Amino acid sequence: MKKKTIIYLLCILPALCFYSFALLIPLFFGTIPYSTYDWNLMSGIKNFTGLGNYIEILSDTDFFRTLLFTVKVGVITVVLSNLLAFILAYFLSKSDVRCKSVSRAFFFIPNIISSVLVAFIWYVMFAWVLPSLAQTFNIEWLKSISWFGETSHATFTIIVVSVWQSLGFSLLIYIAGFQTIPSELIEAAEMDGCTGLKSITKVQVPLLMSTITINLFISIAGAFKAFDIPFALTDGGPFGTTQTIALNIYQEAFIRYRMGMGSAKSVVLFLLVAIVTIVQLRITSKKEVEY
Amino acid sequence: MRKRKASSIVLFVLGILFMLPVFILVMNSFKTYDEVIKSFVTLPESLYLGNFAEAARLMNYGVAVRNSLFVTICTVIVCTVISFFASFGISHLKGKKQTGFYLLFSLGQIIPFHTIMIALSVMMTNLNMNNSLITLIILYSGFHCAFGIFTYFGFLKTVPLSLEEAATIDGCGTLRLIWQIYFPLVLPTTVTIVVLFFLWTWNDFLMPSILISDSALRTITVNMYIFKGSTQSNWNLFMAALVISIIPIVIVYLFTQRYITSGITAGAVKQ
Repeated sequence: MKKKTIIYLLCILPALCFYSFALLIPLFFGTIPYSTYDWNLMSGIKNFTGLGNYIEILSDTDFFRTLLFTVKVGVITVVLSNLLAFILAYFLSKSDVRCKSVSRAFFFIPNIISSVLVAFIWYVMFAWVLPSLAQTFNIEWLKSISWFGETSHATFTIIVVSVWQSLGFSLLIYIAGFQTIPSELIEAAEMDGCTGLKSITKVQVPLLMSTITINLFISIAGAFKAFDIPFALTDGGPFGTTQTIALNIYQEAFIRYRMGMGSAKSVVLFLLVAIVTIVQLRITSKKEVEY
Repeated sequence: MRKRKASSIVLFVLGILFMLPVFILVMNSFKTYDEVIKSFVTLPESLYLGNFAEAARLMNYGVAVRNSLFVTICTVIVCTVISFFASFGISHLKGKKQTGFYLLFSLGQIIPFHTIMIALSVMMTNLNMNNSLITLIILYSGFHCAFGIFTYFGFLKTVPLSLEEAATIDGCGTLRLIWQIYFPLVLPTTVTIVVLFFLWTWNDFLMPSILISDSALRTITVNMYIFKGSTQSNWNLFMAALVISIIPIVIVYLFTQRYITSGITAGAVKQ
């Protein structure tokens, strides 16, 4: 081997060590082998079952419910936050808006706060402020709502908080996207009578297609991994009906101590995220409009 | 003219409404216990600061901030350096070697943390490495460097080889080449990476909550989570604790707003 090549390999070595220790070894010598054991940390049982755990997952209605819940919350959150962010970005990216940076900061700050703390901010709102508001102004319907006691309301809180937090990120990307559209292009379209909503749907959306796809897929991949907000806000309750996949894995491993089953479920999560990512790469490399 | 003013005001008001939960939280954190149980929607009678002092004392705020800062700063430094060197190496390798390493590190970008958390908790316990901030730094660096390498590599690919050849002819060694030619070139990319590593590490909850049980080693987010469980009905203290837990990152944001905004945008587009 050439001396130069050795130097390059030495440059890679430190990262490779950290990477192997943190990721490759736990994945290939931890998660994947663990998933083939019927392993309970509390009772100390550890028996090889091969694909037993995976077969059990197929008939695990709880797991499919959490999968369905994750997809449901994910889709609603992604659509809402992208739609709102797109509309806001359209107005905030106009060069003649005043106090632009302050207004932007208001929408963006929730995105840099840790999700657990964000969930707590809204916990205060739902658990204390809204009931207090209902009391003060004697609003009957608001008084009667138990935000975390009913599945539909608890789901609603998770969606509100997730949209609140993720909106800022999408907003930032869409603003950057809008700024890449040359103003001559929009002016030219205006000359041809293409203004207002028509200009948005016929000219700007097609031009921003790549930005939209990037944004959607980052949001979707994130949605599959949703953990912090439901964990800190509802902790999966009431009765586990607002559990996401990641939360289900966490409970399997750290509450019920079923390490083998938890690992098998986390392999399934990995496959789901991998599929989304591969589809993303396929699509983002195609749908781009040239100008 | 009038339209411009109107839309500016509407956007500003919408922004304030959007942040309303934060303002309400801050407002209530100034109230005493007796005041807060009476109402959450009235203004505080006075700017009572006792809650903050009491919450900070009860939750060992100083220690938690120090732990978070230590872990975050070390992770950012270690991870940025190893990412840069690795991508420098990979971008100079040829053919199959380059593709192999590139694909190996790309794998890290799609593995969710939840897929390895069980294995990490078992392995770190067996190695007696749980309850250590150094372990957190090592794991974060290993976990985030996949993104760092990916991003740096994307940029280094575009640097023309002739630049390096010219420097080498002038007698520039590899180390000097890195320091004097590449380091200034990758500075904007480095800003992106530093910003994202900082936010990801500072805001992470799951890893320290799994690996750290020693109360003296808690990071700020985990500390707040534990505090919620122990405050019971002291709502005023809970809210004050929440406010002081949020403050550090908001201060960082206010001072580095420009870099954070451009860093996140660039990071997303490169993914």
